[in-house]
Amino acid sequence: MKTMNWLIRRELWEHKGAFFWAPVAVAGALLVMIGGGFLYAIFTTGQFQFQVGGDQVLAIDGLPPPMRARAAAIMASSYLAFATPLFLVLPVVVFFYCLAALYDDRRDRSILFWKSLPMSDEQTVLSKVAVALVVAPLATMAVGMASSLILLVLALAAGASKGVNLIAPVLADLNLYLSPLYLLSFLPLYIIWALPTVGWLLLVSSWARSKVFLWAVGIPLVTLALMAWFDFLIGRFAGLEIGFKWFGEQVVARILGGLVPGIWFSEAELQLLKQQPDGFDGGVVLGVSYGTLASPAVWVAALAGCAMIYGAMRLRRWRDEG
Amino acid sequence: MSPVLSARGLTKRYGKQVALDGIDFEIPAGRIVGLIGPNGSGKTTTLKAALGLIHFDGELSVLGLDPRTQRDQLMQDVCFIADVAILPHWLRVQDAIDFVEGVHPRFDRKKAERYIAHTKLRPAMKVKQMSKGMIVQLHLALVMAIDARLLVLDEPTLGLDIIYRKQFYQNLLEDYFDEEKTIVITTHQVEEVEHILTDLLFIRDGKIALSATMDEIGERYVEVMVPNEKVAAARALQPIDQRTVFGKSVMLFDTQRAGGLSRIQLEALGEVRNPSVADLFVATMKGSYA
Repeated sequence: MKTMNWLIRRELWEHKGAFFWAPVAVAGALLVMIGGGFLYAIFTTGQFQFQVGGDQVLAIDGLPPPMRARAAAIMASSYLAFATPLFLVLPVVVFFYCLAALYDDRRDRSILFWKSLPMSDEQTVLSKVAVALVVAPLATMAVGMASSLILLVLALAAGASKGVNLIAPVLADLNLYLSPLYLLSFLPLYIIWALPTVGWLLLVSSWARSKVFLWAVGIPLVTLALMAWFDFLIGRFAGLEIGFKWFGEQVVARILGGLVPGIWFSEAELQLLKQQPDGFDGGVVLGVSYGTLASPAVWVAALAGCAMIYGAMRLRRWRDEG
Repeated sequence: MSPVLSARGLTKRYGKQVALDGIDFEIPAGRIVGLIGPNGSGKTTTLKAALGLIHFDGELSVLGLDPRTQRDQLMQDVCFIADVAILPHWLRVQDAIDFVEGVHPRFDRKKAERYIAHTKLRPAMKVKQMSKGMIVQLHLALVMAIDARLLVLDEPTLGLDIIYRKQFYQNLLEDYFDEEKTIVITTHQVEEVEHILTDLLFIRDGKIALSATMDEIGERYVEVMVPNEKVAAARALQPIDQRTVFGKSVMLFDTQRAGGLSRIQLEALGEVRNPSVADLFVATMKGSYA
């Protein structure tokens, strides 16, 4: 356990930029752009005013109570949506992290230094899995929550300065406090969906002698293209199908796209999510998301991911680095 | 006491090419062994097999363990430098020390810091800011502070200047080595290690060409400075090597070969002395690149 702790710390030393500074930079940009907008609103105009041809036609001095309540409910339940760009950066960062994880130290031969210390290849590979599946998402969530909260405060202040004071109803809304918990609850689901991709990328990372990205992306895509071509020929002349569509959805999408948060919605029953006028209902979204685990394919893919991680360990153990 | 390293029929093939051809050797505890051979002779392959980095055929036991199946256990007691200047570029000196201290139960932090204090390394320095020699210094400082029962050094001082090389071998002998420990060194700079070695293993074309203690070698091989008038007579005794220094012939004799003369008999030919390991190596390996 102590060794694992140090191994994870080692990953963070090496990839501080990707796991810490990248989300912080994106969050900083969000704060400047969106938060700056709120601040601008606070310090410039007096009220929500609408003018036509220089004549004031409408000024909003407040909202009717039902609209107020709804606006407050939406803000309290959906403020974490501010952090969406962070969750688009996360899969890119983790994708390239996994590709480099077992390749870079073979390329610069520092693997020979790591292998001279008393830690097993299993521990080393597991530390990288843990960073990809737990540490990186948690870091992004933390940065996302912090920046979303700051933006929520700025939005409330901007509203209040315009006579739409939602501070009290938002603070009183339970969803304000539940939202971070809902977000955290997605982590186990995210891990299950991301396992095939992490397994595949680590396998290529510990196998390829060079050009990891080309191998990782090229093998599935070229296979898919070949299958599509065969499918076309065979379907034309023999009336058979070899199912390249199945391969595309069940294999290629899972081993390349599993790191994208929300990938599970591609298999979720989305009609259950419609009609949420009062913002996110975290419970319903969670329920629908976890509902995808009823499909055996998800579990088969996750197991295949574990098998590929095991393969990466074996390769790392025996690969002769010359 | 059981040997630290023992090989029997150790064989390694890369495709059709035989890198190690069924070699046998034993290394007892408390020795400093020089594993010496020309490029491509199988030195590094032998070490990689012993460190569990590659598959091999035959028997090889290291500290009583099989490096193929018990590597994780083995690495508690073995340390090695397999190549120089291979520390990752992002590593800081202080992080390297913290990390090794964290994962290695037999790492002595004070010792490492003491070695580092004798260099230009600073705690916040990253490997990418270091010269090649400084990287080697950091690596050696880390490894020397690990109290391992077997230390394997593959060309450990490549890229270091002569002052640091001498210093390193002196530290190795005075500060690190004791009768419980075993050190295996490969190097091309034989003359720098010969005074610290206790044993020699010459390896050539995947076979052991010579395996002896330094004492045995001193008894077995004799170098004679032969005056010009006796050269013909000396040559008839089949020296294994002959060269000319300042117009004098220097011949190397193996006293144990069939029909070889004893040391006392050889003294009749001229001034007698012990050959250097480098000269012995060159004589033994003659024709390696032919």
